[in-house]
Amino acid sequence: MNAESLYPVKNLSYEFLGMQLENPFILAASPSTDDAEMVRRAFDAGWAGAILKTTSVEGNPVDLAYPMMSGLSHEGKLLAGMGNIDLISVHHIDTVEQNVRMLKKEFPSKLVGASIMAGKKEDWQQLVERLERAGVDLIECSFSCPQGNIGEDPGKMLAQSVRATQMTARWVKEASRRVPISIKITPHVTDVVEVAQAVERSGCDALTASNSLQALMGVDIRTFVPYPRLDGRSTYSGLTGPAIKPVTLRTIAEIARHVKIPILGTGGASTWSDAVEFMAVGAGVVEFCTVVMHYGFRVIEDLRSGMSHYLEEMGFSSPSEIIGKALPHIVSHEELPRLTVRSQIDELRCIRCEVCYLACRDGGHVAIERSADRLPRVDRDRCVGCGLCELVCPEWCISMEVVS
Amino acid sequence: MNPPFTDRHARTEAERCLQCYDPPCSVSCPAHIDIPGFIAMVRTGNLIGAAEVVKSANALANVCGKVCPEEVFCQPVCTRGKQDTPIAIRELHFHATQHEARRGYSTPRPFPGNGHSVAVIGGGPAGLACAFELAKMGHRIDLYERKLPGGVPRNSIPSFRLSEEEVRADLDFLSRYVDFQHEDVDAQRFARIRKSHDVLFVAVGLTVDRPLPIPGTELPGVIPVLSFLESAKAGLRVPSPGNRILIVGGGNVSLDAAATAKRMGCREVVLIYRRGEKEMRVWANELGEARSQGVQMQFLTSPVEIIGRRRVEALRCRRTRLSDKLDSTGRPFPVEIEGSEFTLEADLVIPAIGQVPSGDFLDLFARTPEGYLKVDESFSTSLPGVFAGGDLVGGEGTIVQSVGQGKMAALGIHRYLREGAGA
Repeated sequence: MNAESLYPVKNLSYEFLGMQLENPFILAASPSTDDAEMVRRAFDAGWAGAILKTTSVEGNPVDLAYPMMSGLSHEGKLLAGMGNIDLISVHHIDTVEQNVRMLKKEFPSKLVGASIMAGKKEDWQQLVERLERAGVDLIECSFSCPQGNIGEDPGKMLAQSVRATQMTARWVKEASRRVPISIKITPHVTDVVEVAQAVERSGCDALTASNSLQALMGVDIRTFVPYPRLDGRSTYSGLTGPAIKPVTLRTIAEIARHVKIPILGTGGASTWSDAVEFMAVGAGVVEFCTVVMHYGFRVIEDLRSGMSHYLEEMGFSSPSEIIGKALPHIVSHEELPRLTVRSQIDELRCIRCEVCYLACRDGGHVAIERSADRLPRVDRDRCVGCGLCELVCPEWCISMEVVS
Repeated sequence: MNPPFTDRHARTEAERCLQCYDPPCSVSCPAHIDIPGFIAMVRTGNLIGAAEVVKSANALANVCGKVCPEEVFCQPVCTRGKQDTPIAIRELHFHATQHEARRGYSTPRPFPGNGHSVAVIGGGPAGLACAFELAKMGHRIDLYERKLPGGVPRNSIPSFRLSEEEVRADLDFLSRYVDFQHEDVDAQRFARIRKSHDVLFVAVGLTVDRPLPIPGTELPGVIPVLSFLESAKAGLRVPSPGNRILIVGGGNVSLDAAATAKRMGCREVVLIYRRGEKEMRVWANELGEARSQGVQMQFLTSPVEIIGRRRVEALRCRRTRLSDKLDSTGRPFPVEIEGSEFTLEADLVIPAIGQVPSGDFLDLFARTPEGYLKVDESFSTSLPGVFAGGDLVGGEGTIVQSVGQGKMAALGIHRYLREGAGA
């Protein structure tokens, strides 16, 4: 018997984009949503919705190259980031239409979304019309897939052009009668706000922020072939996972501060607390991909349980109460208070590794002194309170103290 | 024992978990706790969720979190151990349940009654686990226990290993779902309980010390190990410091007695065992702890007679050697060596060679050759509608094994009631 045999499932439902969602957790367009059977398993496990893997019109060939995955490991963390050179689904719109019909019939209360990508106006509009007829709940338009080169210019993403974004978003919105349209954008722009405002002007219903980041995953230093290695060749990947979370948070926050339409947050969320952060900076729902590809659909158990207990602890009655809570705290650098801060080392808990000493000596303000017993001591005259020592302390026994 | 985890240390440890798909740890855990499931929650800081996962599988969550022998079940099979060291599963479990205990327990869903009533006789781990599992299925439960419920964990595991508060944490939680009847059950009462309930689950454990089969056991100063541990737990100081105590037997209970005696300040504590160290049925860390406290070990030594005029003065022993023949437990038989007799001075002798069942209503049941209750694979006894489990069925086991048996018996009982065999 699982925990639900003993503890009631808490109500995490709320309304988003006119839809009643079971919880804020949905699967992003990804390999996990490319197969109806997999989505079925995800829904049974408790996911509130899924955006089926990006599809296009029948004529658009999808020529995949394998292996397509590579990892960013860092100091013992196997997948701090994940890279892929995947493209859109090999299933064209005909298969996706069928999957939408089947899934909506079996799971009427789940959000069944689709993700589309095209070039020509007719193709964009045809995709929207066909998916709408199939009964889809939401259409995400990928203006930002960093892999491949479908865009205004070869190698350029649609969402890197304000003009192209606004025009294409208009075509898509024109074609939809009922279904909300979200434009999936990229943080790879000079000013993401301009792009987001273009989407808002187009009349589209929402923004999906954001996408994987363009990356080169690494280089094999003996053969000089970058990863992933395909018989001596490689290409740039789309980076996802925990490594990109701070970029996504900033992107969502920037958009939320400047446009009014709802945001679907995606890119680097792995846990319920990540989801809380995404929502706090303005996301209305959170999409997951990399964590599921690593640990399976079952991560939804902790997402739901963790979110329930968090809401209870905070006295919130619905996940929607989290949305935007962090935004009033984000100000420009000039508006920040100027504090007098000093490092404080808890001598009782210090394990005397002197990592803080070294970091401060070579990367801070030479404000930590050694002693015969290896106990580091802060020179309060030299310490400026930068906070580096707190970050590197493996025992979490350094804190930054505000002195009046 | 290591200092308890802080939240951050727990998280760091939990992050080492590989999250195996078909986890050997959960398979090996007699209560089948979803170990990767709760560890995934510890690593995201969802400690309440983690505690809920543990508690949905193990009614004695706090007790097992504290004293479950991690080296026996989950940790030796941990996949991470093939790479470096196993995950500290028990400590993470305890960290989560303690966090929940401090915050106040999550409220379980209501369990609508199904009209059946089950009587559980015996308030130890098997009885409590069975009772809770049945309560979750909607059966009404009366649990009969002559002492405070809690069994071995409450009454005889030394308080320095497991405190009263830690046991009570689980019982307070369980008392919402189980009606505790503070009663001793004899044959007459047993018959009445049988009439008033659809099914009985008997799990009274092993309550009487197996007598040492040598002369002199009637002398004052011979204290069977259960009495010794129970009085110690109740705060009664049996020997005055400085005494020389001989403990006869090579199990975990003997080590509990030895450690208890040492903590009471006894000068010399000697453990006497008729086989060698390799044959002991003990947990390595408890043996190590006894050694570091200065408990002496006399292996290959068999007691022959307790000597004394008014009270115990000495124990006469013989050396043994191990024969080539193996007993039913797969260990070699000890053979006493002629002419090897010697005497050990003693102020107190504590026989700790195992326990046996007792209770007059147990005569009604078919027994195994060892004297335990005979049950089939669904834990059904020779009496229709009466099931049994725990040490009473399998001999001295660990707490979590009894919990596992209680849960399995609950499934057997549920099936029996659903199929209408009790009607």
